[in-house]
Amino acid sequence: MKPLGGWICLKMEGGILRCASLWAPGLQRAEWLREWRAELWHAREATQIDAECTWKTEAEMLRFCVGAVQDAVTLRKLSWEKKEAHAAFHGSAAECLLLLCFFFATSYFLSHALPGVRAESHPALYRVNPNLIMIQNAFASDDSLATIPVEKYRRWKSWQQRYFDGFAFYRIARENAAAGVSGTYRWRVAHASLNLFWLLGLPVRFSQVAGDAEGRTPGAIVSDAVWQKNFGGDPHIAGRMVRIGRDEVQVIGVAPAGSWRLPGNVDAWLLEPDSANRGVGYVIAHLTALGASAMVSQRVQISVSNPAEGDEELCGVSFAARTKGPWGFYQFTILLALLALPAITSVSLGETNFCSYKPSWSSRFGRWMFLAAKIGLLLPSVYFASLDIAYWHTTTYSIRAQYIQLIASFTMALFGLRWVLFDQRNRCPVCLRRVTHPARVGLAGRTFLAWNGTELICADGHTLLHVPALPTSWFETQRWLYLDTSWKFLFANSSTG
Amino acid sequence: MVQEAKLSHTAALILHAINAGFVYGFSIMEMTGLPSGTVYPAMRRLERDELIRSQWEKQSIADAEQRPARKYYRLTAAGKATLDASRRRYPLLERLIPSEEVKQI
Repeated sequence: MKPLGGWICLKMEGGILRCASLWAPGLQRAEWLREWRAELWHAREATQIDAECTWKTEAEMLRFCVGAVQDAVTLRKLSWEKKEAHAAFHGSAAECLLLLCFFFATSYFLSHALPGVRAESHPALYRVNPNLIMIQNAFASDDSLATIPVEKYRRWKSWQQRYFDGFAFYRIARENAAAGVSGTYRWRVAHASLNLFWLLGLPVRFSQVAGDAEGRTPGAIVSDAVWQKNFGGDPHIAGRMVRIGRDEVQVIGVAPAGSWRLPGNVDAWLLEPDSANRGVGYVIAHLTALGASAMVSQRVQISVSNPAEGDEELCGVSFAARTKGPWGFYQFTILLALLALPAITSVSLGETNFCSYKPSWSSRFGRWMFLAAKIGLLLPSVYFASLDIAYWHTTTYSIRAQYIQLIASFTMALFGLRWVLFDQRNRCPVCLRRVTHPARVGLAGRTFLAWNGTELICADGHTLLHVPALPTSWFETQRWLYLDTSWKFLFANSSTG
Repeated sequence: MVQEAKLSHTAALILHAINAGFVYGFSIMEMTGLPSGTVYPAMRRLERDELIRSQWEKQSIADAEQRPARKYYRLTAAGKATLDASRRRYPLLERLIPSEEVKQI
């Protein structure tokens, strides 16, 4: 054959492959074309070896290329089949559970990646000594207010006590602080009793104070934030001298981030003898066994008889509420959400049907298991997602983050549970697919004369759902109509369920 | 098995050919005598049913031999099981296709 003829055939074959590739699905097109070009090359090689290059061989090559059209059409059909399979997946119970799993996994891994959540979830932060209370004036409107003068505290401490076996005091003041050549700062300093950290059982990092001297050594403990910011995270901070106000004191150690849960944001704790303290502050007391037995719902009323000033009414509030941690808040919000749920949606699962037909035990069991799985995936997701939201911007404990967690957890739990119930009511009891194709039936103006509402159907042809527009005495809640086998011919893709 | 019941004569022939070492489209065509419009679509369906798996040849090998890279096909575990079942259903297929050493991919 002449070279020009061969060239024309080559171009034609290339053109056929190129045109046929337009039928192939877009994502597979390039690979499909590459395979066919490679195959054509090998076919051409084999044909030229076997036979002389003639019109006959070129016609054979063209026939080979025409097969590519059929191949591309097949590939396209297979891709449509995949899409149909996807459509069958859409609205199914598996899709719903998969989405919830995705939500759970995302929130879980995000919470492990956020430093704030990691720090907040550390169990060491909530390991305070038991039977601790904060004593305040009984008429104080806010438990974050300082109400006890240091003189009273000194007097109580000197008395013989039956209900308490330990006291500590602190007050917060703004002070100038200087740490060597690093500069001068304005810190919120808690002037505290020597035994404050020891009584609370709070950990102190880098401390070189011997165990038997704990609670007796004067000095300063700085917060984690100050240690990072003003001391550059120096691990040899213990023993360094700092000037707080007019006093030169030695740094004892660093309080871990998030460990301080008492009222007041503090940059440093100046542990000093009680005689050096003055003003109004907070009193922490440790209850004896007798004192602990007098506690009623985390509170205890205290009366102090004072012949000079008259009786004084005080109130002791347990630390349990302050050291709840995110898990405690989460449990509280779930309880609140469960209580509030009936106010925003019906808690019925809409199981009523038109006839006496009862779905099989396995269907009913599957439906309940599906509901349990949804709730089981939703609630942990809410916990981790609320932590993610609360600690997205902060790396340590803060009251603000706790409030955000409370609100986020409550909102997500409430609306999440609402969605779970709504979703459950709209799933076919037989196959658990969401019912689709809503159709308005009846006239709104004839509500009390005839039925008026929406009808939805199971895409697999198992059931028809009737939802009344207005609940009436004869049609209060949604009802299912189970379709018998005579309906099957309408549903091409119906399964036996 | 559903797949065994659905396997056509053509599909069984292609499975036999791949098992015998004819591992790319044109060689299967040559061995079975089937046209390209039959072989390639059948292979797409076999791949969809996960009876065969495709893999591109390393470009370096193709470059060394100065030819375009081929797409090779091989049987999966399910494909081998189906092939065994098809041997019972189409006993004469064994005689049509001589076995060959499987090429290294």
